Amino acid sequence: MRPILLQGHERSLTQIKFNQEGDLLFSCSKDHIINVWFSHNGERLGTYNGHNGTVWTIDMDSKSFFLVSGSADNEMRLWSVQTGKCLFVWEFPTAVKRVAFSDDDKQVVCITEQRMGHQGAIRIFDINRDGDGTQQSLEPTSMFHPVGSKATVCAFPYMPGLILTGHESGKVALFDAQTGEEVLSNERAHMDVVTDLQLSPDRSYFITSSKDKTARIHDAKTLTVLKTFSTETPLNSAALAPNMPYVLLGGGQEAMSVTTTSLRQGKFEARFWHRVFEEEVGRVKGHFGPLNTIAVHPAGTAYASGGEDGFVRVHHFDESYFKTRPYGETEILN
Amino acid sequence: ADAAEETTVSAELVAQRKRAVDEWNAWRVRVGEEVEEVRRARGELVARIQEETEKEQEQDKEEIE
Repeated sequence: MRPILLQGHERSLTQIKFNQEGDLLFSCSKDHIINVWFSHNGERLGTYNGHNGTVWTIDMDSKSFFLVSGSADNEMRLWSVQTGKCLFVWEFPTAVKRVAFSDDDKQVVCITEQRMGHQGAIRIFDINRDGDGTQQSLEPTSMFHPVGSKATVCAFPYMPGLILTGHESGKVALFDAQTGEEVLSNERAHMDVVTDLQLSPDRSYFITSSKDKTARIHDAKTLTVLKTFSTETPLNSAALAPNMPYVLLGGGQEAMSVTTTSLRQGKFEARFWHRVFEEEVGRVKGHFGPLNTIAVHPAGTAYASGGEDGFVRVHHFDESYFKTRPYGETEILN
Repeated sequence: ADAAEETTVSAELVAQRKRAVDEWNAWRVRVGEEVEEVRRARGELVARIQEETEKEQEQDKEEIE
């Protein structure tokens, strides 16, 4: 595997994502900047400038036409992927912690933080795709406040009218997008903060990572836990590797509690687990701090990790990765 | 005896893994059908709304004329 080191951020990475075609990789960071890179060579294609705080989260529509971002400056922004222009700004009373597009690109769901007399909120916006994208509605089509534990991550599952959430308590839940009613929940999906949630390509299942040191695969409709991957470190991110029976996990102890040796050597690892057998199959070292975010190329040909160290590392898999069948020739459906 | 035991253990492991894969694949097929159904239903709904909107627009046009 040849890693490409992307140096374009001055502070830790918060989220990275491949577009649907896989030719572009987007990254956002505490340095207030969003970058886009060519995934095959790591060349920087452009920067999205405008936020005045940590950019916590990004998502792109399936056409790579719009980019949406959420920031600690209490703004959600809509950008033109191609021109880098900011098309629209939504302002909120608190920071935007997570954004996600629906599969038809017509809606965006976002989580704003609970803080200083403001409840945490989930809002859903209709995205006007007519014209140049600058004509958007300031008002959400719906908004609700999950009672109990704060929501940390969210997404649109394949079931229409529902929003999938992960929470600070470790809970995973489904909410009615219109009424905000909690339709289903698994209170004990995790024992600590849910740090990431990534859907399968058909949005029928998803993987979560947690500070409780585990990652789990859940059925999106029933919220049943199907698989558990238990590590010895708090996890910040988990990704499904399409077309291969693996999941990728990233995390690590905060730099404060780590010995200086591991800081020097870039010992922080991406971990590969077999998604069906729940066994660890390999690790890739490289980062100098915890891995904050992991993304896999939609064709499963590469993966990228974003670290607390401010680096993005892109790894294109070699032939041997595709040929290796550590558990025999059985076909495992995506 | 050890070798025999090892063979039994590995045979059990192989069987266990096969079950895990079969279970996963069966679930994927079942859910795949459900996802397809939801997509089809939504597609039909979108098509119907489009058709109705087009009809309305045509009526509007006739009225203007």
